[in-house]
Amino acid sequence: MIAVVEPRNRLVRPRDVLRSGLSYWLSSLAAMLRFDWCRMRQWAGMMVAFQTMMGAGMVLIYGFFYPSITATRALYIATGAPTLALIPLGFVMVPSGVIMEKLEGTFDYIWSMPAPRSAQAVSTFALYTVLALPGAVLALLVAVWRYGVHLSISPVLLPAVLLCAFMSITVGNGMALAIKNPMVTNVVVNALVFVVLLFSPIAYPASQLPGWFAAVHRVLPFESMATVMRAGLTSGLATQVGTSFLVVGAWAVAGCAATAWVVGRRR
Amino acid sequence: MATLDAATLTVRFSAVGHGPRHWWRDYVSMLRWHLASLRMWLMTLLAVQILSGVGFVLGISLFFRHIPVSAALYVSTGVPVINILMVGLIFGPQLVANQKSAGSYEYLRTLPVSRTVTAAAWSTVCLVSGIPAMVVSLVVAQLRYDLPLHISPMIVPAVLLISLAGTMMGYALGHAVGNPMAIQLVTQLLTFVVFGFAPVLFPLSQMPGWLATLNWWFPFRHMAVMTRAALTSTGGSTVSTAYIVVGVWVVASAAVAGWVLGRRR
Repeated sequence: MIAVVEPRNRLVRPRDVLRSGLSYWLSSLAAMLRFDWCRMRQWAGMMVAFQTMMGAGMVLIYGFFYPSITATRALYIATGAPTLALIPLGFVMVPSGVIMEKLEGTFDYIWSMPAPRSAQAVSTFALYTVLALPGAVLALLVAVWRYGVHLSISPVLLPAVLLCAFMSITVGNGMALAIKNPMVTNVVVNALVFVVLLFSPIAYPASQLPGWFAAVHRVLPFESMATVMRAGLTSGLATQVGTSFLVVGAWAVAGCAATAWVVGRRR
Repeated sequence: MATLDAATLTVRFSAVGHGPRHWWRDYVSMLRWHLASLRMWLMTLLAVQILSGVGFVLGISLFFRHIPVSAALYVSTGVPVINILMVGLIFGPQLVANQKSAGSYEYLRTLPVSRTVTAAAWSTVCLVSGIPAMVVSLVVAQLRYDLPLHISPMIVPAVLLISLAGTMMGYALGHAVGNPMAIQLVTQLLTFVVFGFAPVLFPLSQMPGWLATLNWWFPFRHMAVMTRAALTSTGGSTVSTAYIVVGVWVVASAAVAGWVLGRRR
């Protein structure tokens, strides 16, 4: 006897699984992490190299500018290294990545995937945060070797470095998403690098700045990043660590909010 | 009925002219070509040059509680070198890289203009676009730090030679390196080197000995010596050595560029 196939079964029906809820979000996150890692894998080595070069290179260059390097000055420069390695990743590589994605159309492709956009964003943030760490550590090691400083590492370092990496990535990402024109993003990114490398108290104390400029840096995230990192690497050198954590945290929230605002809208 | 004479339709092959009159005419057209194709960029480039020069001059004082005059003098007399080099050495190769990606590189090579004319026109553009930033940086430095500057007429040959060296090195780099990505990478590395790993903005004694020795073979250290000598009216044997080394770099880079451009492909 020939089995009669019911025509009803041959219809393609939409899946009746619910595309919401925590388990769906988590499985989307896992899928997005795999997807992002596969895309990023070929660049990961270059990213670490670029970060180390920026962090360690800038630390060496700062040293050349001083006629004599005192112990305190050496400690300031050396403990600025991880911050100097994190900033280029978050404020240069992440926005450049977004610009490339926009130009190549990958950006729209990812948005068209059936994964919650919040899972897409969290996957990007998580991967970049993890990728940011080796470069920061390498830059610090080069700095310690060059200046022969003794660090006293405290448990504060772990939350500090994670928060700083997370903040710079979310702010970089939010900025690149919020600014529509890639050319403008490019200009902002380049200007930022210049300001950060020359005009931010990362490798020297903020007390050297004129009063109004120091006040500006109490609001901007760069000095606070350096302070919280320094709190984890030294004892007694960093002051107002709590406030600095709050400032970095506030910028991280702002970066997430900017991302959420752009990602949450329909186009 | 008028018949079309085929001879009028062909372009005479002797379009590439010789002699000084042709050379000058071609030079003016190429100059106009460069200025027209860069018209959007030139203003931006000028602004970036001025801002970065002034930024460096002012920013360096933040590194010190009280900046020593010698440190201010080194930075202020080093920034002009960077201003002059920037367009020819960094922007030039990047422009060539873009042309290679966009395909206009091949087109430019088909123009009936001799290679020396193209090189001369580009050198002029590089020289002219570096000078305003150099002047502004020096004026700001003088106002900010009240420096003991004594500008001697030697600044003219110094600026001319530095600009020519930067342009020729950029020329050689842009034309000899095939891959546009590699060009971008090398120019970025060069920026890093000129700012931080060559004794341009700070004295030689502040870097490790081996790095100072290594820098003797590269032109940047000597360019800084030339500018500094002209701006502070000092002299000595190091200055003449500097002119010779930079001159050698000009000749070598021009030779490489000429060889690459002269090859048939």
